[in-house]
Amino acid sequence: MQLFVYFSQIIGKGILDSQGHRVGRLHDIAMNPNSDIYPKASDLILRRGGLVREFARVSWEDISHIEKEIRLKITGDRIKFFREMPKSDFTLRRDIFDQQVVDIDDQRVVRVNDIYLLRVDNQLYAANVDVGLRAIFRRLGWTGLVDLIVFLINPKSPYLTQEELIPWKATQILPKLGRMKSVLKLEVSKNKLNSIPPAALADIIQDLDLFARVTLFKSLDGALQNQVFTDMTLAYKVELIEQLGEEEVASLITNIPADEATDLLMKLPREKSHHLMGLLGTETNKKLRKLLGYAQNSAGGLMTTEYLYLRSDARVADAFQKIKDNINFPGTIFFLYLVDDDHKYLGTTSLRRFFNVDPQGPLINTCYPENIHVYTDDSVEQVALLLERYKSSSIPVLNKQDILQGIITIDDVLEELISLAWHQYKEKL
Amino acid sequence: MSFWKKAKENKALKNVLIFLAMLGPGVITGSVDNDAGGITTYSVAAATYGYPILWTLLPSFVVLLVVQEMNMRMGACTGKGLADLIRETFGIKVTFWIFLGLLVADIGNTATEFAGVAGSMNIFGISKYISVPLTAGAVWILVTKGNYKISERIFLMFSVCLLSYVVSAVAAKPDWHQVGLALIQPQIQFDKDYLIMVLGIVGTTIAPWMQFYMQSAVIEKGTTMDDYKLALADVIIGCVATVAVAVFIMVACAATLHVNNVVINEAKDAALALKPFAGALASAVFAFGLFVASIFSATILPLATSFYICEAFGFNAGIDKRVDEAPQFYALFASIMVIACVIILIPNAPLIAITLWTQDINAMLLPVVLISMQLMVNNPEIMGEHVNNKLQNAVGWSTTVVLITLTLLLLVIPAFDLFKAH
Repeated sequence: MQLFVYFSQIIGKGILDSQGHRVGRLHDIAMNPNSDIYPKASDLILRRGGLVREFARVSWEDISHIEKEIRLKITGDRIKFFREMPKSDFTLRRDIFDQQVVDIDDQRVVRVNDIYLLRVDNQLYAANVDVGLRAIFRRLGWTGLVDLIVFLINPKSPYLTQEELIPWKATQILPKLGRMKSVLKLEVSKNKLNSIPPAALADIIQDLDLFARVTLFKSLDGALQNQVFTDMTLAYKVELIEQLGEEEVASLITNIPADEATDLLMKLPREKSHHLMGLLGTETNKKLRKLLGYAQNSAGGLMTTEYLYLRSDARVADAFQKIKDNINFPGTIFFLYLVDDDHKYLGTTSLRRFFNVDPQGPLINTCYPENIHVYTDDSVEQVALLLERYKSSSIPVLNKQDILQGIITIDDVLEELISLAWHQYKEKL
Repeated sequence: MSFWKKAKENKALKNVLIFLAMLGPGVITGSVDNDAGGITTYSVAAATYGYPILWTLLPSFVVLLVVQEMNMRMGACTGKGLADLIRETFGIKVTFWIFLGLLVADIGNTATEFAGVAGSMNIFGISKYISVPLTAGAVWILVTKGNYKISERIFLMFSVCLLSYVVSAVAAKPDWHQVGLALIQPQIQFDKDYLIMVLGIVGTTIAPWMQFYMQSAVIEKGTTMDDYKLALADVIIGCVATVAVAVFIMVACAATLHVNNVVINEAKDAALALKPFAGALASAVFAFGLFVASIFSATILPLATSFYICEAFGFNAGIDKRVDEAPQFYALFASIMVIACVIILIPNAPLIAITLWTQDINAMLLPVVLISMQLMVNNPEIMGEHVNNKLQNAVGWSTTVVLITLTLLLLVIPAFDLFKAH
């Protein structure tokens, strides 16, 4: 008895009852998703008839063996056939075979050409999925011929020895329109995707079709949703929020960095963004409204209003406390900005500058000697120039009255400059 | 206040703008449909039978509309391409044979398009050994350096160029009263050549690869069921435009060539033959239309074919990928282009035989694709609540049955001929 069997080798096989009468063919295998690491087969789904098909379910206890033939322990008259396919949460043919799945290890979307089943104690477990070219030829029945041709051309070709298998634990099945609810019940999905870095997950999600994209995104937990959403490109963000409920969108906009949120709101039709603004909490609303007033490629449009600041009379110890209180702050925590009672900008200090200073000393003495800053209507090029000249990674943005409005960090500038450079490059082509 | 702001405040104008933004897949697919092969069939039919054969365009319109609506709905509803859906529903064997047929047929189709390029440029005195390689180079650049937005704009411009056939038709000074009558009064003859011609017209309007293209374009555009009405309008406009262009081509040929008993075999002949009857302008415009249509389809066909094949077998695909990221995709695309060009550039290539063989393969593929589509569009596992309703099913299945009967006839009639000859 073989230890491994390919799903393609048993699908469509004739099924005999205990007396050896043929009762139908193997149509699908229902799996028990919650069993161990590898899902265990729970039922066989039988099919009979040509034009008018009928289906039946046979539970695993009633199977005698699966060898060259599939033999049952029960007689044929005990099997009830129906026009409707029996309902199951998760089956091999419907959910995996020939379908797209996410390969968690390589972080890409692949199409399954075959499934590698492990046979232990007359039980079947889904062990790997096969995404290789060789599996395609095996299913067409051409393995021998193609192997021979490849061998004649190049006997050392990796095609002959390497199987492209993905272990089950690194395989994420994708939701489909007709049965969204049943797939969402599979809690498996969440744990697996959580191990992918948000930026890679954003790439994967962008590769999927619209429907799978929305469902998969919804299955992520809140914090991961925010990170993945932040990492998606603007066009995909716009497409995605069209498919989400108002509350979900409002929550996303509140929880992603303010500058990303304004970019998104600016991309939307005016009515829609007004409507969304109305749904946001007052704090977020105020913050975004301010940013939305500036041109997109000006310092004002680029800045974020998320920064840490202290009054001019603060001590070094207050700065440490401020950082500790804001350890989960979405913006930078390495730079602190000093302002007076009118929020007028006085200076910038950083963790590096006050780390070894007497905690009781005044914080203002640790500020950078050069007072570098930009104004809200300065261009992105000016910002980049200053950051480069002073080898700094962030810069405060003031209005004409020297009131601190926000800060720009180097990654925001980089993003803007890369897209500028890219446009120029494209035009040259 | 800028024009756009004003426009956005005006409700009616705003709807027009939204609609224009949705325009695309249907119109482009419709225009690709009037490719070199289509123009050839239309002009030969009209030159041979005159106005009375015009009625065939009306059933063609209905069939086109029904099939494209299904494709649009499947795309909008599932967000998946037709190739994806066929692979996921029917497994690898069915998929493999469909795509092998599609690949061979599309190489033949692409060769026909390059024949159209060669023929039309020939009228302007340019040798095919110059026009074909230059066109292929231009197509390659457009595909590898462009992106979807740019391509779509260029394609829409192409679609507008197809209106040049209106000029040819008007210059031919047809009897419009007779044209109108011929469109609504079917005059059916029961001889073999006539039937083959009718089948040819319907068949050239519904090519199998179009269904794949249409659905991918809908997805690329990001259409969902919320945009159904606008997308439907796009499909309808596309079908109307397609059939309207066909009407003008046929009118131009019927009013001149048929009246004067000129017999032609190729679209190029039509352009040449128009000159003495309708003037140099009508002839040049006709040739220009043929050139645009050919280059348009020569771009889309190889690209689309490579895309579906990669989609179905799980290879990376898309013009936004680099060559090393999607090697199978670029290899397929390049081979289709090269084989098609070589076929045309071989002196005394059996072009007519290639065209006939391509039509036969298309004819065999069509029933398979249509039945697959009908089965999927009725499957709630795929379509959810948007499965065909009773009316859609009645129209869909009868269209499928009629088309299959027609195609079978198309395959069987030549066989009978052989029989008689012996």
